[in-house]
Amino acid sequence: MSNHEESAENRLRKELPEEVPAAAESTEAVDSAAEEQSPQLTGRQRLAKGLWPPRVTRAQLIVALLLFGLGFGLAVQVASNSDGDSALRGARQEDLVRILDELDDRTQRLEDEKQGLEKQRDELENSSNQAEEARRQTVEKEKQLGILAGTVAAQGPGITMTIEDTKGTVEADMLLDAIQELRAAGAEAIQVNGVRVVADTYLTDSGNSVSVDGNKINAPVRFKVIGKPQDLEPALNIPGGVVQTFEKEQATVTIERSDKIVVDALRVAKRPDYARSSSQ
Amino acid sequence: MIAVLGLVVGVVAGLLVRPEVPAVVEPYLPIAVVAALDAVFGGLRAMLDGIFDDKVFVVSFLSNVVVAALIVFLGDKLGVGAQLSTGVVVVLGIRIFSNAAAIRRHVFRA
Repeated sequence: MSNHEESAENRLRKELPEEVPAAAESTEAVDSAAEEQSPQLTGRQRLAKGLWPPRVTRAQLIVALLLFGLGFGLAVQVASNSDGDSALRGARQEDLVRILDELDDRTQRLEDEKQGLEKQRDELENSSNQAEEARRQTVEKEKQLGILAGTVAAQGPGITMTIEDTKGTVEADMLLDAIQELRAAGAEAIQVNGVRVVADTYLTDSGNSVSVDGNKINAPVRFKVIGKPQDLEPALNIPGGVVQTFEKEQATVTIERSDKIVVDALRVAKRPDYARSSSQ
Repeated sequence: MIAVLGLVVGVVAGLLVRPEVPAVVEPYLPIAVVAALDAVFGGLRAMLDGIFDDKVFVVSFLSNVVVAALIVFLGDKLGVGAQLSTGVVVVLGIRIFSNAAAIRRHVFRA
């Protein structure tokens, strides 16, 4: 059908512009069956004649059937190609295998990356858990040490000891003896008339009364002590002990046990000038 | 006229029905469509030349489709399916272009 010699045809056309006297020189199968049916018609006239009026002949019907098949196939192919999700439908086997390989590689790489990131996440979680635990323990320790150092308030069972000293005979060493006795009996937090007693508390005589850490204590002297009441009270009451010493000086001592003693006098934590922690 | 109607009806039917292409036919359908297009252009040119013959058209149409499908099938079996179908499309494309040139000369005289 295609081996028409264009130069020959062009030459013919120049010589005979109105007629195309058929492709006698064509070697194609279609042409071989051809006889010149209407040599005086141009191609355009033949086309118009073929199109109108419509003739229902066997040839037309068969060609229409074939063209129907062509149009059908064309439309089906176009439709199936333009389906968005089936971009791979028309792909050949080797292409599919290549695509699959690439996807496998990519999956592998992403899997590796995921494992690395998960490991990193676990490490970070562990370290943050450890930091959290260390912080919790530090807070706990700070509270315990704060009770000892007097920087936080404390409450718990204990006793209240009130010393009525009308004659002003109570002296610092007697109060210090009382504090030592209480400590020996397991007192954990002590305050005297609103002054917290801690490790570096000192007691001095000042005239008729006593100073605790430089704060003058007025009678009556009131001790608030947290500890085990069953230990603290007998410790004060032993013969020749604290209570008897005060009573010898005509002071009256009252001791009350209580389930809830609040020691709320505070001291400011002081940073030591010379002493440094030797632990790392 | 009836033939043109057949083509139009075919396209419309294909778009409306949207049948699932069977997997067996799937690789051959595009090549077969191109081959059939080539036969149609050849037939149109023969008609303009005044040498159209329906028997020849039918035979060339069917043989084009069958041979094209056969070449693709063979290529797939030989493992060069992609290259061979590209070759078939190129050859058919060249033929379609040369036929279209002849038709153009007839219709537009240019």
